[in-house]
Amino acid sequence: MTALDAGPVRSAFARRVPAGEALADDAEAVARACHDMARRFAAGGKLIVFGSGSAATDAQHLAVEFVHPVIVGKRAFPAISLTGDVATLTGVASREGVHEVFARQLRLLADPDDIALGLCTVGACPMVLGGLRAARDLGLLTLALMGGDGGAAARATGAEHVFVVHSDDPRVVKEVHVTTYHVLWELVHVFFEHPGALDVGLPA
Amino acid sequence: MTVESLYPFLYEGRTDVNAVLAEVSRSTAEKAHEIVALREHIATTYADRLPVCAAALAASFGNGGRLFTFGNGGSSTDAQAVAQLFLDPGPGARALPAIALTTDVAVVTALANDVGFEVVFARQIAAFARPGDIAVGLSTSGGSANVLRAFEEARQRGMVTVGFAGYDGGRMATADAIEHLFVIPSSSVHRIQEAQTTTYHVLWELTQQALG
Repeated sequence: MTALDAGPVRSAFARRVPAGEALADDAEAVARACHDMARRFAAGGKLIVFGSGSAATDAQHLAVEFVHPVIVGKRAFPAISLTGDVATLTGVASREGVHEVFARQLRLLADPDDIALGLCTVGACPMVLGGLRAARDLGLLTLALMGGDGGAAARATGAEHVFVVHSDDPRVVKEVHVTTYHVLWELVHVFFEHPGALDVGLPA
Repeated sequence: MTVESLYPFLYEGRTDVNAVLAEVSRSTAEKAHEIVALREHIATTYADRLPVCAAALAASFGNGGRLFTFGNGGSSTDAQAVAQLFLDPGPGARALPAIALTTDVAVVTALANDVGFEVVFARQIAAFARPGDIAVGLSTSGGSANVLRAFEEARQRGMVTVGFAGYDGGRMATADAIEHLFVIPSSSVHRIQEAQTTTYHVLWELTQQALG
């Protein structure tokens, strides 16, 4: 194997650096989202996660992080992914259309103190946007992890916290999403372990 | 490591929400830089071995091979992501046959209930596999008993075996059944999973290139 053959590996990894570094620019926005999430959990809310395509697996990943923490001694929080019930997914999709797949489940499963988090790597997914709109209508705290040109559409749903990975490559977007939700999980605990920090909102 | 040892000043007096916010912001930025550095390390470590593995996958697909994926917990979602990536990559890429062994809850719970969790994945491999197919297993610890057993079954059946592990590779590092092993040397489960995601994305890209 020559150095030349290793070129594609180097360039594939190098393409990911700008999007990875850019997450640090969103640090304060991530921290504010963690604070809002912690306050909802403290009030008895649960996390409801959804995503389409590859992000459907991220929805399940994030739910298991909260329910079964990898760090021993961390508190478990209630979280559910809307991507796991294939019977409901395919039933709603074929009967009412893809935009209703998550929205319909949210209307039945969500309580007002809950948190909704939608993920989409390829821009504006109708399924995820439908879920975000339904969540806002129900008064949930709403977060969106988007990519490509999906930021404006997510903000238009009224979602409070919108994180956009500026890359046209859905694989790169997904990688930054994974780091983002790992950080959200870990740092919710920092606020939660300081109950005083949960009693007050943050200045805008 | 306790939260108190990570953020000692927070425990010194009355909670100042802005101080917590500042600390959480700092921690976020630090983790973002951490994963970028870890990816750089992986790019160097596996610059030679990723193309070799991609060539093996391309050869398998070229001969009608199918890809099977497996893992537990968070890694089960990565197994599904790998299968989805090969099967449904979107425009401009070649779709390839891939199945995640984690998604059929009827089979997973039947095996776990009737036999034991250690045969979940191995029995499925035994049922599906043909020589020349591909087995991709992920485990952050490298020590998942059912994942190791699935690799043994896969290798016995002449499959191409690809493993993703973390820390020092655990038992996967010494398992003869794994031909292509990618170990992410980090002590954080989260950074391991993030770097694994990039590594299988790059492996997929190289496989697409190798297929032409």
